[in-house]
Amino acid sequence: MPEYRLVNNLKTLRFMANEMSQAELGERIGLTRQTIAAIEAGKYSPTLETAFKIATLFDKRLEDIFQWVCE
Amino acid sequence: MTVKEKFANIWLVTMVLTYGGYFAAIVLLGETDFMSQIWLFSATAFAQMIILGVSNAFGLFQKSKGLRSDERDRLIEQRATHIAYNILIFGFVVVGCLMPFSDTGWKQFQAGVFFIALSEIVRHGVIVHMYRQGWHA
Repeated sequence: MPEYRLVNNLKTLRFMANEMSQAELGERIGLTRQTIAAIEAGKYSPTLETAFKIATLFDKRLEDIFQWVCE
Repeated sequence: MTVKEKFANIWLVTMVLTYGGYFAAIVLLGETDFMSQIWLFSATAFAQMIILGVSNAFGLFQKSKGLRSDERDRLIEQRATHIAYNILIFGFVVVGCLMPFSDTGWKQFQAGVFFIALSEIVRHGVIVHMYRQGWHA
Protein backbone atom coordinates (compact mmCIF):
# COMPACT_ATOMS: atom_id res chain seq x y z
CA MET A 1 0.00 0.00 0.00
CA PRO A 2 1.45 3.40 -0.94
CA GLU A 3 2.41 5.77 1.86
CA TYR A 4 0.70 9.15 1.97
CA ARG A 5 1.59 12.23 3.93
CA LEU A 6 0.27 15.71 4.43
CA VAL A 7 2.42 18.53 3.02
CA ASN A 8 1.76 22.25 3.07
CA ASN A 9 3.05 25.54 1.72
CA LEU A 10 2.38 27.53 4.84
CA LYS A 11 5.86 28.99 4.87
CA THR A 12 5.43 30.44 1.37
CA LEU A 13 2.01 31.83 2.23
CA ARG A 14 3.39 33.50 5.34
CA PHE A 15 6.18 35.02 3.32
CA MET A 16 3.73 36.35 0.76
CA ALA A 17 1.53 37.83 3.49
CA ASN A 18 3.97 40.60 4.40
CA GLU A 19 6.45 38.08 5.84
CA MET A 20 4.12 37.19 8.66
CA SER A 21 5.97 35.55 11.55
CA GLN A 22 5.10 32.13 12.96
CA ALA A 23 4.21 33.78 16.25
CA GLU A 24 1.85 36.23 14.55
CA LEU A 25 0.11 33.50 12.58
CA GLY A 26 -0.16 31.40 15.74
CA GLU A 27 -1.67 34.29 17.65
CA ARG A 28 -4.26 34.94 14.96
CA ILE A 29 -5.51 31.36 14.84
CA GLY A 30 -5.00 30.43 18.49
CA LEU A 31 -1.88 28.26 18.29
CA THR A 32 1.61 28.58 19.72
CA ARG A 33 4.60 29.47 17.58
CA GLN A 34 6.01 25.98 18.20
CA THR A 35 2.90 24.34 16.78
CA ILE A 36 3.07 26.48 13.63
CA ALA A 37 6.72 25.43 13.29
CA ALA A 38 5.72 21.77 13.74
CA ILE A 39 2.99 22.08 11.06
CA GLU A 40 5.45 23.66 8.62
CA ALA A 41 8.02 20.95 9.31
CA GLY A 42 5.41 18.23 8.72
CA LYS A 43 5.69 17.06 12.31
CA TYR A 44 2.09 17.79 13.17
CA SER A 45 -1.12 17.43 11.18
CA PRO A 46 -3.52 20.17 12.28
CA THR A 47 -7.18 19.54 13.01
CA LEU A 48 -9.72 20.30 10.32
CA GLU A 49 -10.85 23.35 12.28
CA THR A 50 -7.34 24.78 12.35
CA ALA A 51 -6.81 23.98 8.68
CA PHE A 52 -9.96 25.96 7.84
CA LYS A 53 -8.85 28.83 10.07
CA ILE A 54 -5.55 28.99 8.17
CA ALA A 55 -7.31 28.82 4.82
CA THR A 56 -9.72 31.59 5.82
CA LEU A 57 -6.89 33.77 7.10
CA PHE A 58 -4.97 33.54 3.82
CA ASP A 59 -8.17 33.59 1.75
CA LYS A 60 -7.30 30.30 0.06
CA ARG A 61 -8.96 26.93 -0.41
CA LEU A 62 -7.82 24.07 1.81
CA GLU A 63 -6.22 22.19 -1.08
CA ASP A 64 -4.20 25.28 -2.01
CA ILE A 65 -2.49 25.05 1.37
CA PHE A 66 -2.52 21.37 2.28
CA GLN A 67 -1.85 18.51 -0.10
CA TRP A 68 -2.14 14.79 0.51
CA VAL A 69 0.77 13.35 -1.46
CA CYS A 70 1.93 9.82 -2.20
CA GLU A 71 5.56 9.12 -1.37
CA MET B 1 11.07 24.02 22.82
CA THR B 2 7.76 24.78 24.53
CA VAL B 3 7.57 25.11 28.30
CA LYS B 4 5.45 21.96 28.37
CA GLU B 5 8.12 20.02 26.50
CA LYS B 6 10.80 21.38 28.80
CA PHE B 7 8.71 20.47 31.84
CA ALA B 8 8.19 16.92 30.53
CA ASN B 9 11.96 16.56 29.97
CA ILE B 10 12.82 17.73 33.49
CA TRP B 11 10.08 15.61 35.06
CA LEU B 12 11.22 12.52 33.12
CA VAL B 13 14.85 12.92 34.19
CA THR B 14 13.78 13.59 37.79
CA MET B 15 11.58 10.48 37.92
CA VAL B 16 14.25 8.25 36.38
CA LEU B 17 16.95 9.55 38.73
CA THR B 18 14.97 9.48 41.97
CA TYR B 19 12.86 6.35 41.52
CA GLY B 20 15.67 4.58 39.64
CA GLY B 21 17.80 5.22 42.71
CA TYR B 22 14.99 4.18 45.03
CA PHE B 23 14.42 0.80 43.37
CA ALA B 24 18.15 0.19 42.96
CA ALA B 25 18.50 0.72 46.73
CA ILE B 26 15.53 -1.59 47.40
CA VAL B 27 17.12 -4.36 45.32
CA LEU B 28 20.58 -3.86 46.85
CA LEU B 29 19.40 -3.61 50.46
CA GLY B 30 16.90 -6.47 50.25
CA GLU B 31 14.74 -6.98 53.33
CA THR B 32 15.05 -3.97 55.64
CA ASP B 33 13.23 -2.76 58.74
CA PHE B 34 10.21 -0.46 58.79
CA MET B 35 12.11 2.75 59.57
CA SER B 36 14.66 2.19 56.80
CA GLN B 37 11.86 1.75 54.30
CA ILE B 38 10.15 4.93 55.50
CA TRP B 39 13.44 6.84 55.41
CA LEU B 40 14.28 5.61 51.92
CA PHE B 41 10.90 6.55 50.50
CA SER B 42 10.94 9.96 52.21
CA ALA B 43 14.44 10.64 50.89
CA THR B 44 13.30 9.77 47.36
CA ALA B 45 10.26 12.06 47.55
CA PHE B 46 12.45 14.82 49.06
CA ALA B 47 15.09 14.44 46.32
CA GLN B 48 12.34 14.74 43.72
CA MET B 49 11.06 17.95 45.31
CA ILE B 50 14.60 19.36 45.50
CA ILE B 51 15.29 18.73 41.80
CA LEU B 52 11.98 20.26 40.72
CA GLY B 53 12.45 23.16 43.16
CA VAL B 54 15.95 23.91 41.86
CA SER B 55 14.66 23.73 38.27
CA ASN B 56 11.98 26.23 39.19
CA ALA B 57 14.48 28.46 41.01
CA PHE B 58 16.61 28.60 37.84
CA GLY B 59 13.57 29.86 35.99
CA LEU B 60 12.97 26.79 33.84
CA PHE B 61 9.22 26.86 34.47
CA GLN B 62 8.96 30.65 34.51
CA LYS B 63 7.00 31.01 31.30
CA SER B 64 4.48 28.37 32.26
CA LYS B 65 2.33 31.02 33.94
CA GLY B 66 -0.24 32.31 31.51
CA LEU B 67 0.96 30.17 28.63
CA ARG B 68 -2.06 28.50 27.13
CA SER B 69 -2.15 25.01 25.69
CA ASP B 70 -3.07 24.64 22.08
CA GLU B 71 -4.57 21.65 20.25
CA ARG B 72 -1.19 19.96 19.70
CA ASP B 73 -0.31 20.16 23.40
CA ARG B 74 -3.71 18.73 24.34
CA LEU B 75 -3.54 15.87 21.82
CA ILE B 76 -0.05 14.88 22.93
CA GLU B 77 -1.10 15.07 26.58
CA GLN B 78 -4.21 12.92 25.92
CA ARG B 79 -2.24 10.27 24.03
CA ALA B 80 0.46 10.06 26.70
CA THR B 81 -2.09 9.91 29.51
CA HIS B 82 -4.00 7.13 27.72
CA ILE B 83 -0.87 4.97 27.45
CA ALA B 84 0.12 5.66 31.07
CA TYR B 85 -3.42 4.85 32.23
CA ASN B 86 -3.16 1.35 30.75
CA ILE B 87 0.08 0.75 32.65
CA LEU B 88 -1.52 2.04 35.84
CA ILE B 89 -4.54 -0.26 35.42
CA PHE B 90 -2.25 -3.24 34.82
CA GLY B 91 -0.33 -2.28 37.95
CA PHE B 92 -3.53 -2.00 39.94
CA VAL B 93 -4.56 -5.52 38.85
CA VAL B 94 -1.16 -6.91 39.87
CA VAL B 95 -0.90 -5.02 43.19
CA GLY B 96 -4.54 -4.98 44.24
CA CYS B 97 -5.88 -8.25 42.88
CA LEU B 98 -2.98 -10.68 42.52
CA MET B 99 -0.37 -9.72 45.11
CA PRO B 100 -2.62 -10.07 48.19
CA PHE B 101 -2.54 -13.85 47.55
CA SER B 102 1.27 -14.03 47.57
CA ASP B 103 2.90 -10.87 49.01
CA THR B 104 1.73 -8.24 51.44
CA GLY B 105 3.20 -5.30 53.37
CA TRP B 106 6.22 -3.52 51.97
CA LYS B 107 6.48 -5.68 48.84
CA GLN B 108 2.95 -4.71 47.90
CA PHE B 109 3.67 -1.05 48.70
CA GLN B 110 6.83 -1.07 46.60
CA ALA B 111 5.05 -2.74 43.70
CA GLY B 112 2.40 -0.01 43.89
CA VAL B 113 5.04 2.73 43.92
CA PHE B 114 6.81 0.98 41.04
CA PHE B 115 3.75 1.02 38.80
CA ILE B 116 2.89 4.63 39.68
CA ALA B 117 6.48 5.71 38.93
CA LEU B 118 6.54 3.62 35.75
CA SER B 119 3.30 5.11 34.45
CA GLU B 120 4.58 8.65 35.12
CA ILE B 121 7.91 7.89 33.43
CA VAL B 122 6.09 6.45 30.41
CA ARG B 123 3.70 9.41 30.30
CA HIS B 124 6.46 12.01 30.26
CA GLY B 125 8.59 9.83 27.97
CA VAL B 126 5.75 9.66 25.44
CA ILE B 127 5.25 13.44 25.66
CA VAL B 128 8.96 14.08 25.03
CA HIS B 129 8.99 11.56 22.17
CA MET B 130 5.91 13.03 20.50
CA TYR B 131 7.21 16.59 20.68
CA ARG B 132 10.46 15.47 19.07
CA GLN B 133 9.24 12.98 16.49
CA GLY B 134 5.97 14.65 15.66
CA TRP B 135 2.34 13.72 16.04
CA HIS B 136 -0.16 12.72 13.39
CA ALA B 137 -3.62 11.76 14.59
